[in-house]
Amino acid sequence: MAPPVSTEQAAPAAGAAAPAPGRRRRAPLLRAATRRRALPWALLAPALAVIAALLLFPLGRVLWLSVQDYGLDNVVSGRPDYIGLDNYAQVLGDRYLWTVALPNTVVFAAVAVAGTVVLGTLVALLLATLRPPARTAVLGCVLVAWAMPAVSGTYVWVWIFDVDGGLVRQGLEAVGAVGPEGYNWFTDRLAFYAIATLNVVHHGFPFVAVTVLAGLLTVPRELHEAALLDGAGAWQRFWNVTVPTIRPVFAVVTILSTIWDFKVFAQVYLMPGGSGGNRDVLNLGVWSYMQSFSQQSYGLGSAIAVLLTLMLLAVTVVYLRALFRDEELR
Amino acid sequence: MVVSAVSERPRTGTDSLLPTSFTLENFRHVLQEAGFLGYLGNSLAVAGLTVAGSSLLALLAAVAVARFRFRLRTTVLVMVLTVQMVPLEALVIPLFLQVRDLRMLNSLLGLSVVYIALALPFAIWMLRGFVAAVPAEVEEAAYIDGASWGRMFWSVLFPLVAPGLVATGIFSFITAWNEFILALTFMNEADRYTVAVGLRQFFGQYTTDWGAVMAASTVITLPVMVFFLIVQRGLVAGLVQGAVKG
Repeated sequence: MAPPVSTEQAAPAAGAAAPAPGRRRRAPLLRAATRRRALPWALLAPALAVIAALLLFPLGRVLWLSVQDYGLDNVVSGRPDYIGLDNYAQVLGDRYLWTVALPNTVVFAAVAVAGTVVLGTLVALLLATLRPPARTAVLGCVLVAWAMPAVSGTYVWVWIFDVDGGLVRQGLEAVGAVGPEGYNWFTDRLAFYAIATLNVVHHGFPFVAVTVLAGLLTVPRELHEAALLDGAGAWQRFWNVTVPTIRPVFAVVTILSTIWDFKVFAQVYLMPGGSGGNRDVLNLGVWSYMQSFSQQSYGLGSAIAVLLTLMLLAVTVVYLRALFRDEELR
Repeated sequence: MVVSAVSERPRTGTDSLLPTSFTLENFRHVLQEAGFLGYLGNSLAVAGLTVAGSSLLALLAAVAVARFRFRLRTTVLVMVLTVQMVPLEALVIPLFLQVRDLRMLNSLLGLSVVYIALALPFAIWMLRGFVAAVPAEVEEAAYIDGASWGRMFWSVLFPLVAPGLVATGIFSFITAWNEFILALTFMNEADRYTVAVGLRQFFGQYTTDWGAVMAASTVITLPVMVFFLIVQRGLVAGLVQGAVKG
């Protein structure tokens, strides 16, 4: 058994017949074992093809676009102008990124995630203590909030804070806090994002509540009883029994919420001024969209989009590590 | 909770928290004169195509990752999970150019194909849990009875996974129904709008027809709510299985 020319197959005594030098003898195409090995790939192929063509390929293309000066004339002619990292230099050197777009994205996401997780957990704890009829009723309300499309949810919040006839305006006017001239909440960056936060928390907390509830129901009752015997209060029981037991659940909902809140688009875009009218309130996603489709500088928009994607990928890595720590995919 | 309860109520289409007068005029106006029926039709067509396409592809893929051990399996799973995190804002620019090159702008089919791709990763991830929950012994029994793999798939596995398939399909429906940014970008002829985009026309530059907006929002929200209530049990089970437990 002197090693032949080929280096790849070091398979010892693989077959009965002597193989041609350097060439592995192929099994008949439809042998059962081969088919068994090919089957998962055949099943996966259509899905992977769609994902590759419509998600991975565009992802590569946005990278490619981000190193080009791709404007309206390039769209027409189809010819790219390679400019290297100029787009990134322009974005990273722009004060607008550091003073407006990035804080709008990051601070908003942090506040919204905190609000979502805290509110969701509180609701889950409430749900866990309720008896079935009441629980079903509350769960129904929570689900209604969840099911509401982002678009109509946003309009409801815009309507509540409407300058002329909104609920808040009417309420504040009734108690005399706002004069008859009213107040436009949407021009002020902080107020704008406070409303956006309300909207996103309202939309996002049901997922947290339902997932945490599912986790809470898996906590063995004995643990709570033991802690109760040891004289732990409700607060201590929550922090020392519940939280450590369902820590993976918290990790997952926090990270998923973070990812979702980073890429909020419709909720900002649809608010007054959010579609470019008020440059103070854009976040990274909307800014990228405006650069591309209003200013027709697709290259610059792509560079912003790539930066946003990189930030999200960092969060995703944390998510995957949390999952893998649970030995989830084994 | 209180926030949600209070904020849902003003959606009734009248101008105050407690309706002083009840009228269906807004609904009639929205549906007939403003062309919302057309948008509903567009959205239904797109969502239907999305559900059919993504369910079929996701089922096949889910069986592959849940039932077979093969090389790169974990890689595929991680890829599917990661791709789900990519922000739409990053995809909208290249997808717009791609769809435009294929002359599929303003085409409901083009939009559906993109939605299928968007719904796939989550659908695979969710169905995987349902497929894995079917005991392998059931499959083995079918093999012992002499069934081929294809026969086993359609006669044994498919009926058992059907509830999960319904849940996943409804989720895909909701994704397609609610999606905003791509529909906004791809569809620039008014008669091709989906409901999410069509809603914007009630916003004037200075005035807003709140009655119409709220009536239209209600029309959009109702089907989603109904579906959601049907599917919530399966959805939560799928999420918990897929995301938390093994």
